[in-house]
Amino acid sequence: MSTIHRGLTVTVTIDEDKLSNVNALLFQFRNDLKTNRDQFEKSLPGTFFISWLTLPSQIYNETERLPARIILMTSYVGDKQEHLNELVDFLAPQLNQVFGESHEFPDNYKGKADMLNFLNKKSVANTFYSGFKFLTTSDVAKEKELKSAVWEHAQQLNATNDASQLSPSYIKRQIEDFVANNPALNWAVEEIPFARQNKIQMLLPLVLLGLVMATSIICIVLCFFIDALFVKIMAWVFPLFVIIMGGLLLLLRQNEKNPHMASEELSDEEIRKIVALETHPVLNEMTVIAPLKKGWVRRAFLFVSLKLVNFLTYFTYIPTVHTARWLQLDKGKRLVFIANFDNLSEAYAHDFVDSEKRTKNMAVIFSHAFGFPATRWLIHKQYNHRSKYMKGVRAHQKITQFWYCQNQYESVENLKRNRAFREGLFKEMDDEAIKKWLLTI
Amino acid sequence: MELEKEDIQGLMVRGHGNLTSARFLLYNCTDPKGSCDFLKEITPLITHAEEKPEEEAIHIAFTYEGLAFLNLPAPVLNSFCREFKEGMSAEQRNSVLGDIGDNDPENWTWGNDSIHFLLMVYAKDQAQLDKSMLRIKEQTDRCGIKLIHTLPTGLLQHQKEHFGFRDDISRPVIRELLKEAPPETATTFPAGEFIMGYKNLYDEYAPAPFVPQELDKKEFLPYHPDYPERKDLGKNGSYLIFRQMHQNVHAFWKYMKEQTDEKAAAIKLASKMVGRWPDGSPLSLCPMQPDSALSESNDFGFWDDDQAGLKCPMGAHIRRTNPRDHLVTEKSKIDSTEMAAKHQMLRKGRPYGPPITPALDPNDIMDASEDEQERGLHFICMVTDIRRQFEFVQNNWVSFHKFGGLENDADPIIGNHYNNGKFNTDEFSVPNYPIRKKYKNLPNFTLIKGGAYFFFPGIKALQYIASHD
Ligand code: HEM
Repeated sequence: MSTIHRGLTVTVTIDEDKLSNVNALLFQFRNDLKTNRDQFEKSLPGTFFISWLTLPSQIYNETERLPARIILMTSYVGDKQEHLNELVDFLAPQLNQVFGESHEFPDNYKGKADMLNFLNKKSVANTFYSGFKFLTTSDVAKEKELKSAVWEHAQQLNATNDASQLSPSYIKRQIEDFVANNPALNWAVEEIPFARQNKIQMLLPLVLLGLVMATSIICIVLCFFIDALFVKIMAWVFPLFVIIMGGLLLLLRQNEKNPHMASEELSDEEIRKIVALETHPVLNEMTVIAPLKKGWVRRAFLFVSLKLVNFLTYFTYIPTVHTARWLQLDKGKRLVFIANFDNLSEAYAHDFVDSEKRTKNMAVIFSHAFGFPATRWLIHKQYNHRSKYMKGVRAHQKITQFWYCQNQYESVENLKRNRAFREGLFKEMDDEAIKKWLLTI
Repeated sequence: MELEKEDIQGLMVRGHGNLTSARFLLYNCTDPKGSCDFLKEITPLITHAEEKPEEEAIHIAFTYEGLAFLNLPAPVLNSFCREFKEGMSAEQRNSVLGDIGDNDPENWTWGNDSIHFLLMVYAKDQAQLDKSMLRIKEQTDRCGIKLIHTLPTGLLQHQKEHFGFRDDISRPVIRELLKEAPPETATTFPAGEFIMGYKNLYDEYAPAPFVPQELDKKEFLPYHPDYPERKDLGKNGSYLIFRQMHQNVHAFWKYMKEQTDEKAAAIKLASKMVGRWPDGSPLSLCPMQPDSALSESNDFGFWDDDQAGLKCPMGAHIRRTNPRDHLVTEKSKIDSTEMAAKHQMLRKGRPYGPPITPALDPNDIMDASEDEQERGLHFICMVTDIRRQFEFVQNNWVSFHKFGGLENDADPIIGNHYNNGKFNTDEFSVPNYPIRKKYKNLPNFTLIKGGAYFFFPGIKALQYIASHD
């Protein structure tokens, strides 16, 4: 068990002429959501976000037509099979209606088991990021209520004469007593479930990778002293990794010399259609799907990069983002990126281009996509400009016909601060730490 | 790159503080030909940045609708940015700018109707202003140009705005305007952040409208440095953002009094909302009481010793509109500074309406009785990128109630405060030991009365606009 956040991506191809049907259906579901949101929240307790959209065909390498697709992307907490069950139990008719338009959907569909089978079969791997790790959907509301109840209660401390003279530990104790003695809040006395397991599970792949590499380096030395097959094989792992990455980088550099091709800019009208859907006062969604620049090395490099980023997601930080994911489709020829973020896409996209450092990080992934700025050695900017990054994002931004977000009210900073408050309850701290902790209230 | 000052309208480099009387005039053209004649006549009278006017200064700026009315060719019109083309009162801009509810353009007195251009007339005194106005009236009447709205202005004592706070202290310094190289530590900005045709903070030429070279038959315009087939219509120009903001001075101080038990505490609360004391001294440098020696001080940040906002709250007006070196979403001072720098604007606004008390001392304002006078601020700023600079600040920092990890707080001074049961933006939170204070149910202290996006051209661009075929 864990409360790690994960992303499910299910995709099938669809005939271009069926797109408008599916779009209409998805927009209809979006509309329905206005009246049946309560049911969504009740029936999908493990689901944070759902983006469900159609993707028209796109052209790769000037000639190759990549197929139109339906893509369902969810952000959930915990176990994949449980999540699929939850989805199918609640959304089977809608899933059937939409995916039924694809010739990849089973003709002899009979019910839940078939749907589960289908979703499993059509789900693809993704590199997933969560900005509010390990919270469950019920934590969101509970931790908010906890903090606001404590704030209300603590107002009497502010009203005390010489409140500023009260010692931090006294105040902390007052707060903890209030929580412990309040039947509606004393769930917070318990430690946060799965805290350690979550961390271990997320870090394990990275630790294993590190161990393999370290073992390989040790084996290189041991090779001089021990004549064992295992040692010899292991001794090759690290050098091979370095050679492959170095080789890929050199090939990439060659590819980067191809003349840059700009993608067609989205018309003002199209942009208006996209931003018209960004109506949520706190958080919104963005889907960007672009064919890659030509050359197999782009596909290979992106594949390896996404795998490596996967190892590092525990340490990754993207400001204002709730969840995000990257994946490749159609034999790696398409890059899919979605993000659920605070406020509007315009503000969100600026978080990347405004910072030199982050533009470089983003280039590791986006520089492979068609129309995005040209680079030198992957991260250094070539002759075209950073504003082109914004244009690249807009040029490939897609309309997400259906979007659901479980948490409508809390920004990612709110979620993190609420969690920091809960984590600090009943925890040993010195006075300075307590003062900082009190500021989370 | 040296600034071509004789081609830049003077307002870009000075606020004409010595020209105390000013009026902003909003016009509609009725006939493109007559309007172009007027523009040809007025062009030599436009004050450029090399001049230091002592008597009178005149500036001109166009809406997209105005440029379209003057029959600029379609590729030229298309080359302007989307925000400018849509206009400030367009539906798509409303949610970005927070112009909903009380601030809905439906309720504006101008800006929701047709405006073609803006004349800004500054004069050394009322007599000179009247003289200038008469001359302009004669010219516009002759050319079939209709005056739609006249917006008066009035500078207040001690550079104050109507709530009683010293304004116009913090200004971004344009590197190219400095006579000597600035010290390493000084915060300066490349001209391209505010003036088109120069490099901006991304080391790019600021985005600008252009004319396909074959359409600049009279060769008014310089070539665009990046695109040899384009003539640079933006060169030495800017976008001018204009928002007329009514200030409800009585409601402002009434709220402060209701929340506190004495005048000093009311002034302190209001200062927490602004981020400076009424005399201008910044809370970051003197959190306990004002220090008149610091009233023009602008050399401070938040990262080193006020990350939590115990001195200047995160939600204070100056901390939201310019977070300087501390953004909650950033992990370092350098990153925060880099991010904040990308969203600056050159403010050129002027107050309008009579002050509630002559000296605008908050102690007196609190005692003054409510009156029906219309007063406020003509907020004006110049940027080369409407979306990245003005709209970003207005949307992401001023209006977004989650700014800086806050919960329900839009900008306390200029935010649109509402509570619709599901979402509320009408709180102001003040970090405090032992426990944060939250002020609730803030009314709207300002109200948008009108506004528009204008193109503020360079002189050569103005000649092109006046004389294009
Ligand atoms: C009636 C409306 C407004 C009032 C009363 C007002 C008041 C003030 C005051 C008293 C200051 C401090 C003086 C200074 O630092 O120069 C200030 C600064 C500032 N205001 Fe406003 N303001 C208003 C509207 C706006 C608007 C609409 C914006 C932009 C969206 C804005 C952006 C700024 C900026 C960027 C600063 C400088 C912050 C800094 O660099 O520290 N203001 N304002």
